[in-house]
Amino acid sequence: MDKNSIILLVVVAALVGLRVGWRLWRKSQPKQTAFKKLRPLNPWQRKLYTVYVFAKLNTRRYFRDRVAIFFTVAFPLIFLFVFGGLFGGNNGVSFRIALINQSNSAFSKQFVGMANGEKVFKIDSSATSLDAAREKMNRGELDAAVILPKSFGEVKAGTTYPSGQAQVIYTNNSAQAAQTLASVLEAQFKSINGKLVRNIEPFTVETSQTNDKSLSQFDYTFSGLLGFSIIGLGIFGPINVFPELKKQGILRRFHTTPLRVWQYFLSTMASQAVIGLFAMGVLFVVALTVFHLQVVGNWWLLVLYLVMCIVTMLGIGLALGGWAKNERQVAPLANIIVFPMMFLSGTFFPRYLMPDWLQTISGFLPLTPMIDGIRLIATEGKTFLDLGPQLGLIAAWALVVYLIAFRVFRWE
Amino acid sequence: MKNDFILTVKDLRKVYGDKVAVDGISFEVKRGEVFGILGPNGAGKTTTLEMIEALRPIDGGSATIDGIDVASNPYQIRSIIGVQPQSPAFQDKTKLTELIELFAAAYGERVNVQEFLADVDLEEKASSFIENLSGGQKQRFSIAAALVHNPKVFFMDEPTTGLDPQARRNLWDLVQQVRDKGVTVILTTHYMDEAEVLCDRVAIMDEGKIVALDTPAKLIHDLLKKGFTKAQHVEQANLEDVFIDLTGKELKD
Repeated sequence: MDKNSIILLVVVAALVGLRVGWRLWRKSQPKQTAFKKLRPLNPWQRKLYTVYVFAKLNTRRYFRDRVAIFFTVAFPLIFLFVFGGLFGGNNGVSFRIALINQSNSAFSKQFVGMANGEKVFKIDSSATSLDAAREKMNRGELDAAVILPKSFGEVKAGTTYPSGQAQVIYTNNSAQAAQTLASVLEAQFKSINGKLVRNIEPFTVETSQTNDKSLSQFDYTFSGLLGFSIIGLGIFGPINVFPELKKQGILRRFHTTPLRVWQYFLSTMASQAVIGLFAMGVLFVVALTVFHLQVVGNWWLLVLYLVMCIVTMLGIGLALGGWAKNERQVAPLANIIVFPMMFLSGTFFPRYLMPDWLQTISGFLPLTPMIDGIRLIATEGKTFLDLGPQLGLIAAWALVVYLIAFRVFRWE
Repeated sequence: MKNDFILTVKDLRKVYGDKVAVDGISFEVKRGEVFGILGPNGAGKTTTLEMIEALRPIDGGSATIDGIDVASNPYQIRSIIGVQPQSPAFQDKTKLTELIELFAAAYGERVNVQEFLADVDLEEKASSFIENLSGGQKQRFSIAAALVHNPKVFFMDEPTTGLDPQARRNLWDLVQQVRDKGVTVILTTHYMDEAEVLCDRVAIMDEGKIVALDTPAKLIHDLLKKGFTKAQHVEQANLEDVFIDLTGKELKD
């Protein structure tokens, strides 16, 4: 565990301790008998006081609601264990590699042709230089790079057969993959060697690790999972709650008061943000301790970014839930919006596995910049200055969805 | 000089498509009285009430509460009226103290919750969840919550529809307590006995129009003067009296 995670754990423990302590202290206090006079509020304070009380009670009700806690905390946790277990070891049978051929020999060309038909690894043809391959390896998109050096496959002076040494380059996260890859190559070379000459092995493999800190598959899984959590909080929360409140006539009753829509929305944003940070906090604690997630970015930036994501996504939920008269009306529409977004934005599998045209389209979905941004901040240590496109896209979506949400909201 | 009328309605109209729901009605409600709007289903009672409460746009005419025009100041109106819905519901998993805090906050008011609950005799239940109250306590709480901001006018739309006789009588008591605090009460009902017991004056609506408006006693007197006689002889008690005698006045849950 790194320093950041220890600090996080200490902060979480301190917060829990403070909360419990506060409750015990309150309980130990004698019941107040004299009623204290409350300070009058000015008009703006009154408006914000309304927001504060609504947000406070909304949050409190959440912590009393086991079903809600299950769906926001336990549910993503189950996914975390399932996907974390699947991708944690990075031991997939098929590797993605870059094959960089620096040699002009006939043998190397033949080898590349052979390798392209290989099933054990998939060659990414877009990475043609070592730098490009390294970049992709660092993002976890490639497991390793195989380099065929200039002299590979040439017949050296004094010999009658071609020879050469292939290099396998890997990162700290793909050591296992690289070892397997090296043995696969070795096995192939062995059969070639055997045909060429006895007792000498003209073709060999050498492995070496880069010094770069790379992303693991788990980093992608985890940011995707946070995206899933954001959808749950922002969309599934309100579309379940609002129609129910309408059915019971609770929103109608609020409509008979001077409560404004913006106050109601703002209080919902605040409470969902608090609930969201709690739920994601739990995910982070588990990811840090169980799955050895490395967070290199600034935690405050991350919190701010997560809040922005939740608030934007909540706009979609408020528009859907605020518009719908009942659950039946909202469910199909929500599914049409949520499921494609969930799969196309890289919630369950990374977007780089998609064809290019689909990556381009899915890049504009609101969830995509959220997931990308979280990963960029948390695991790549980027700041808001580097996140221009993501922030811009999120702001644009926020503007659009809230314009719609305010327009279509109905109290009954 | 203070106006004697807290509510003035002039030529109020509501049209849905080609159906006229409220057809240019005018009436006035005196400060501190219990005013009933009676009528069969579809007469336009609820629509009238909702227009006065600033919940529904007014198509024609005007309504003025305490000198404030409803159509042009909906938010100001909402802060001086209290509305009791037909079947009051509250969010579950919420304590009474929290609900009072919530309703007060909806009006931008801070109240001393314990003091408030003590006033309505629900102090012991302060930290219970709303779903754990008895039927009678719930009625009392619901009305108390609607009055948390000290409104000048209290609206009740068919408050006793669907209640059993005991709960109905309990609610009548509560309405009278509200009136005794000096709050004007405007309610709709289609139970004539209820109107007779509760209302100082009633307006009878039919097909979007007010067909009569006076005290219940005066309306009955006028009818008798026209030569109306009831076919059957007067009973000393009715079946409801029997029911209450047998099952008691206590609220059943």
